[in-house]
Amino acid sequence: MQAMVQTQNLRKTYKHADGTSIEAVKGVDLEIHQGEIFSLLGPNGAGKTTTISMISGLLTPTTGDAVIGGYSITKQPLEAKRLMGFVPQEIALYPELSARQNLLFFGKMYAMGGKALNQRVDELLEFIDLADRQNNRIDTFSGGMKRRVNIAVGLLHRPQLIYMDEPTVGIDPQSRRRILDTVKQLRDEYGMTVLYTTHLMEEAQELSDRVGIMDHGAIIAMGTQGELTQQVGEEDRLEFTIGAQTVTDELIERIQNKATAVTRVLYNPPEQLSEEGSESTPARLIAFAKRGRTALPLIIQILDAAGIEIQSVAVREPDLEAVFLALTGRALRD
Amino acid sequence: MKILAIAWKELYTTFRNRNLILLMFATPLVVSTIIGLAFGGDGDSDTPDFANIPVAVVNLDEGFNLQDEINLPAGITNPDALPFDPNDIVFTIGDTEINLGEQLNLNFDGVSLNFGDQLASILLSQPIAINNTVASAGIDSTEITCSLLDTAAENSAGNFSSESALDELLDATAVADPDVARAGVEEGEYAVAVIIPQEFSRQLTPRFYFEDDGRLRSDLYSEAGAVEVYANSGRAISGAIVRSIVEGIVNQFGRVRVALSATLETSVNSLIDSLEGGEIDVSGLVADVPAVIANLQPLTADALEPLGCLITPGASNITVDQQPLDALQEASRFARITVAIGSSQAVFFALFTGIFGMYSIYEERQQWTLQRLIVSPTPRVYLLAGKLLGNLVVVFVQLLILLSALTLIASIVIGEPTFVWGSNLALIFLVILALALCVSGLGVFVVGLAKTQEQVVLFGPMINITLAVLGGAFSFSLPERVSQFSFIYWGVDAFTRLASSQLDGATSQQAGIVALFNTDVALNLLVLLGQGIALFLVGAWLFKRRMEL
Ligand SMILES: Nc1ncnc2c1ncn2[C@@H]1O[C@H](COP(=O)(O)OP(=O)(O)OP(=O)(O)O)[C@@H](O)[C@H]1O
Ligand SMILES: [Mg+2]
Repeated sequence: MQAMVQTQNLRKTYKHADGTSIEAVKGVDLEIHQGEIFSLLGPNGAGKTTTISMISGLLTPTTGDAVIGGYSITKQPLEAKRLMGFVPQEIALYPELSARQNLLFFGKMYAMGGKALNQRVDELLEFIDLADRQNNRIDTFSGGMKRRVNIAVGLLHRPQLIYMDEPTVGIDPQSRRRILDTVKQLRDEYGMTVLYTTHLMEEAQELSDRVGIMDHGAIIAMGTQGELTQQVGEEDRLEFTIGAQTVTDELIERIQNKATAVTRVLYNPPEQLSEEGSESTPARLIAFAKRGRTALPLIIQILDAAGIEIQSVAVREPDLEAVFLALTGRALRD
Repeated sequence: MKILAIAWKELYTTFRNRNLILLMFATPLVVSTIIGLAFGGDGDSDTPDFANIPVAVVNLDEGFNLQDEINLPAGITNPDALPFDPNDIVFTIGDTEINLGEQLNLNFDGVSLNFGDQLASILLSQPIAINNTVASAGIDSTEITCSLLDTAAENSAGNFSSESALDELLDATAVADPDVARAGVEEGEYAVAVIIPQEFSRQLTPRFYFEDDGRLRSDLYSEAGAVEVYANSGRAISGAIVRSIVEGIVNQFGRVRVALSATLETSVNSLIDSLEGGEIDVSGLVADVPAVIANLQPLTADALEPLGCLITPGASNITVDQQPLDALQEASRFARITVAIGSSQAVFFALFTGIFGMYSIYEERQQWTLQRLIVSPTPRVYLLAGKLLGNLVVVFVQLLILLSALTLIASIVIGEPTFVWGSNLALIFLVILALALCVSGLGVFVVGLAKTQEQVVLFGPMINITLAVLGGAFSFSLPERVSQFSFIYWGVDAFTRLASSQLDGATSQQAGIVALFNTDVALNLLVLLGQGIALFLVGAWLFKRRMEL
């Protein structure tokens, strides 16, 4: 497969006014194949936006370069930019303009005009199902509607490649569903290459052909979902939500020793799991086991005997969350 | 193409923003209309609505005796020591017999100049008392001309009438005690108190002294006597009017004192030269009358010309800033006021558009539309050019709309369609464009220079207000020298000139004034365009950085 985007040792150091500096991206090497959905998965502040900004020509890399469809983003920025569409994390639209006016304006920035532009705008308004609201000002739109227009702008010039930076942030489940379907449609019907960033494991899991997991400015794992989960082995993950009782080290040791299949126990990880609906950090106990379903009754027994209240139990098969947890010892957080 | 699209977007988004529209148009129109009405009345009545501003005039001026200050050369301790009695010398100029002693008294003894009296008389619209001056010394005052006056005023010299324009404008009362006057202002009895300080004449008069070489020299006090104009804060406009009148008069005194010192210096020094050179034999002075007369030539009517300006009753009249007042009587006062106040207010409010239009670069960055533009295959220069052009057009359109709206308001108030800006449309457009260039250029410059958003918000309005104060947008006039630092001055001045040239056809008897107003606006345009282009170029260069992320 041909590489649509290829980066070499991309680095970005932000200098702060007080003289300190932060290395937001630490030498990223990526390859995104033509026609695939590639997800960058990582918690807040991992450096996803910074990476996307560099490979879209928004930020100059401190070192390194990215080649887009054969053009270097630093040396031939205009040619490279013509190939890509861009859907920023923010709603990058003029609130005073209508949906249609926004589309027309940005269309002109892609050297489109006249009839062709008008037709394309009509088409996109149908595509995002906002033809009836096209003449309303953006600031009268709901969050989900804005998100859809935000995506449409990125599609205006029929780019081969589109960057979408967390396009589902802050919207209702229904709108999110629509957007996820749209993204798949772009690949499946239009053969587009999509770079999709998210901090939600489920989205990456549903959409991606390949995933790059990012943490603290570095890609810590990259590959198809199958390749990635294999890295953590065949272990199931047993997640217990427990009461406020204290769990002693001795108790954890007992679980590890008595329940034979258990390889590792994590107690109350500092960050909460990125599960929807989870609120304030409850006490958590996570056990990794080769055969989760055999280990489960044993662990419940031990916890019961120790007088610990079990609020909920979940058994998870190997997934991207597990990969992240295994590689960092932390959960992806919301 | 892309540049135009960006410029259009700037224009469009600006005019879609209700709050901005309010700030850009409603506020300046309301402000200028209110001020206009306060100043200009409805244009129908004969007496101005703002007429009869109650003013208390307190004259503390002690006057000034030239002899007290003069520093005679070492050889001559006092005039009595002269080897002859000047009073014995009588000669004739034309048909008039002149006593040299009296003439000399003019310079050395007995004449007490009192500028404060003159100022007070003008304000009180009283005939100016003529005591112990050249006129009474035997020279007919009409013989003394004053070239400082323009033709119109010169014609009226000698026909001083207390029915001056000021009489209608001010209801002035002489008050002896400054504290009483101030209290009167506080209590609302007077709108304004004009207090002429003790030292007023002393400071206005050049200081003469003889140097070691026996030459007469003069120094001008660097500061003219500061007349206190104490206004009731609730009557700011009245205060501003009186302040500008007083300033106008004092400035005229100032011009005279410069001429006075120069003339006296040359006259006296040439007399001394003659004495030293033996051209006049002092001992045989009486016998040598023709020579004396020849050498006294500088002290005849011509030489006294500047002094004449000062003391000729009719001439003093001109010291009241008469042009605007006359113009107010003319056509419609409201129209006239609208031009000055409306245009300065328009520019003042446009300044905010200029700065906050460019400031929107920060908003665009926050809402990520700037990033979206940068990610598009558009060179940065285009983005910059579009943004600048957009701002310029927005400011231009704002000025255009404001001036049009003011025309409409003026027409409604006056009761008939009146295009208050004059008839030279091309020049009017050019002035607006030049002003837009300055205003927008300043915005680009300020936003380009400021390091952060906060600095723009902090310094932008400060700069705007300073420029407006300097430029006279708040109707207290500063000395012209100072005002010239503000392009608002140049703009308003240009508008006033253009508007006034319209009077040309309407009233021919105002020849002098029209001539003055008719002066080209070429200098104004030059200054405005020069400043505008400079601000734009430097601003664009600075602003480029704001487009980096
Ligand atoms: N302009 C900037 N100046 C300084 N530091 C920055 C800047 N932009 C980002 N950072 C820092 O760089 C790091 C990476 O930020 P980035 O926005 O790329 O993360 P992200 O993965 O997109 O996070 P999120 O999921 O919250 O969008 C963070 O620590 C952030 O604070
Ligand atoms: Mg981000």
